[in-house]
Amino acid sequence: MKALLHVALRSALNRRGTLALVVLSIALATALLLSLERLRTDIRSSFSQAVSATDLVVGARTGPVQLMLYAVFRVGGATNTISMDSVRAVAAHRAVAWVVPLALGDSHRGYPVLGTTVDYFKHFAWGDKQPLRLAQGRTFDGTLDGLYEAVLGAEVAAQLGYGLGQKIVLSHGLGGGGGLDAEHADKPFTVVGVLERTGTPVDRSVHVSLQAIEAIHLDWGGGAPIPGLQIAPEHARKFDLEPKQVTAALVGLKNRAAVFNVQRFVAQYEAEPLLAVLPGVALDELWAAVGLGERALLAISGLVALVSLASLVAVVLAGLNERRRELAVLRAVGAGPRQVLALLALEGALVTLAGALLGALMAAASVVLAGPWIQQRFGISLIASAPTAEQWALFVAVLAAGMLASLVPGWRAYRLSLADGLSPRT
Amino acid sequence: MPPNCKIHARFGGQPVAESSDPSAALPGVPRRGALAVLAGLLYGALQPVGALAQSSAARDVVPLMKPPLAATGPAASRRGAAVSAARTITWEALVPPGWDPFKDFKDLDFQTLDDGDPRAMQLLKKMREAWDNAPVNAAIVGQTVRLPGFVVPLEDSKDGLKEFLLVPYFGACIHSPPPPANQIVHVLPKVPAKGFRSMDTVWITGTLSTVRTDSYMGAAGYRIEAVDVSPYTDKPR
Repeated sequence: MKALLHVALRSALNRRGTLALVVLSIALATALLLSLERLRTDIRSSFSQAVSATDLVVGARTGPVQLMLYAVFRVGGATNTISMDSVRAVAAHRAVAWVVPLALGDSHRGYPVLGTTVDYFKHFAWGDKQPLRLAQGRTFDGTLDGLYEAVLGAEVAAQLGYGLGQKIVLSHGLGGGGGLDAEHADKPFTVVGVLERTGTPVDRSVHVSLQAIEAIHLDWGGGAPIPGLQIAPEHARKFDLEPKQVTAALVGLKNRAAVFNVQRFVAQYEAEPLLAVLPGVALDELWAAVGLGERALLAISGLVALVSLASLVAVVLAGLNERRRELAVLRAVGAGPRQVLALLALEGALVTLAGALLGALMAAASVVLAGPWIQQRFGISLIASAPTAEQWALFVAVLAAGMLASLVPGWRAYRLSLADGLSPRT
Repeated sequence: MPPNCKIHARFGGQPVAESSDPSAALPGVPRRGALAVLAGLLYGALQPVGALAQSSAARDVVPLMKPPLAATGPAASRRGAAVSAARTITWEALVPPGWDPFKDFKDLDFQTLDDGDPRAMQLLKKMREAWDNAPVNAAIVGQTVRLPGFVVPLEDSKDGLKEFLLVPYFGACIHSPPPPANQIVHVLPKVPAKGFRSMDTVWITGTLSTVRTDSYMGAAGYRIEAVDVSPYTDKPR
């Protein structure tokens, strides 16, 4: 067996040019399969980590997935707002322990701004019921003195290089306008706190109080400043800054088993069309919807792997012609047909192994290199952890398919007769 | 040299017993042994791929028959012992024997009432209030039971579901009225249950307890710290 391996290696080294290309193509196919699987798992875990210990998310009557996407993940815009009266009615329900209203719609240099109450920092949890922690400073206190205070998520502070005391200006709209955004320039905010990194959309958000959102929109109408109406920041405090409309609300219950009753109450609330969703159920609906796309991508990656293995077979088969003399010599020194088959199969298996290992390395490297960019851009954390069971399954499948594929040239060589090799009729 | 000339030589230290090999006389016949081994390897290697395809394939059709989670090891055997000691119950067992939420409505004829009729709405409200205060069956509290149901996830983590609700029928959270308070079980698995999604069918095994909350749901609600959470199969035990 060792001698066979030795001969196979030497023989392969002799043709290292072509075989290197085959190794590369197998590596790319394996990297594609493994990266896809890693991305799929990490996106799912990232989404499911985003909110925890919240029983219901209440918002305008859209759809469960859309409500989760814009209220929790800050992806996309809200279709409608809900009135604060409805939020108070939900809070008054006897099964509800706490309600945290959320107001979205502004941004700061592309990062969404969230208007909320101080209870947000007390009740919001992520991951495995982990609370939000401050890395620096403090939260805003919700009083009128601290009206223009902001708390940044970890990503915002890191990417924009902000520290405590930094003055920031919020823009109207969801951002991405690249400088054309209408700014609330007359009412700058001061950063008073920075949150610890969570790996959730919280990192990409700027948190201010609900009253502050009302204040900056006092002299605005229809998405633009009302001409001739200018309310100075300190004068804004004198106005009624209680919010009338919010985007959504997070609800926590006293008894988790009462969730259906509160959901039913919200769904049948007569004053306004509302929707309440269980976060876990809505996310599962999302995965069911994208599951078809995932399977299609996986199938395509599988086809790519098959194509690269077919190229392996083609290359080795094509090279058999030149190796007839080599194989005949081996036969002459006593190698049986079995050994010749084993030699070719082993060579194919080694090439596949080298390609698969290189592909696994490439997949891991791409996670390390592209991870920070994806984290910053989409809020999804790619974890460079040990391979999952599914990744191992794909890796072994590529190896097995390669071994099977390399039996084809081996069989061909098995059939070549000794005489044909020693006196080739070319 | 003629093709079937017998050559006795050494290759790799092992004598090549070609002459005594019956299949050598027919060079085209494959060696069954080697191919069988390779086929076995391939089959073994492709099993996880099949499982992967199955697990990500249509979960919304009939649940696949998979063996329960109990496998090897001391924890699993303890779990297996607990599972076999549990009594398989149905959802009716969670309802106390004398409870009849419809006893106030026996004299009314539902057929004559329109759905939008205010009296029907009133009745529905009363019925729901009765359901919200549905009492637990004291006889069954504290027993180790095995109960099938549908999963409504509450807390999901990387390791699996850490908290979920078990409900007796499909779509309990969507369009049908919520189940009565004694037909919802709050499940906290001892080991996070991996691979379960919303509305999956499962067997839960654990000891029933109640949660006394003096605020909502005047009666207490059921809770189980599940020793075992396994996919639902039809096989009775």
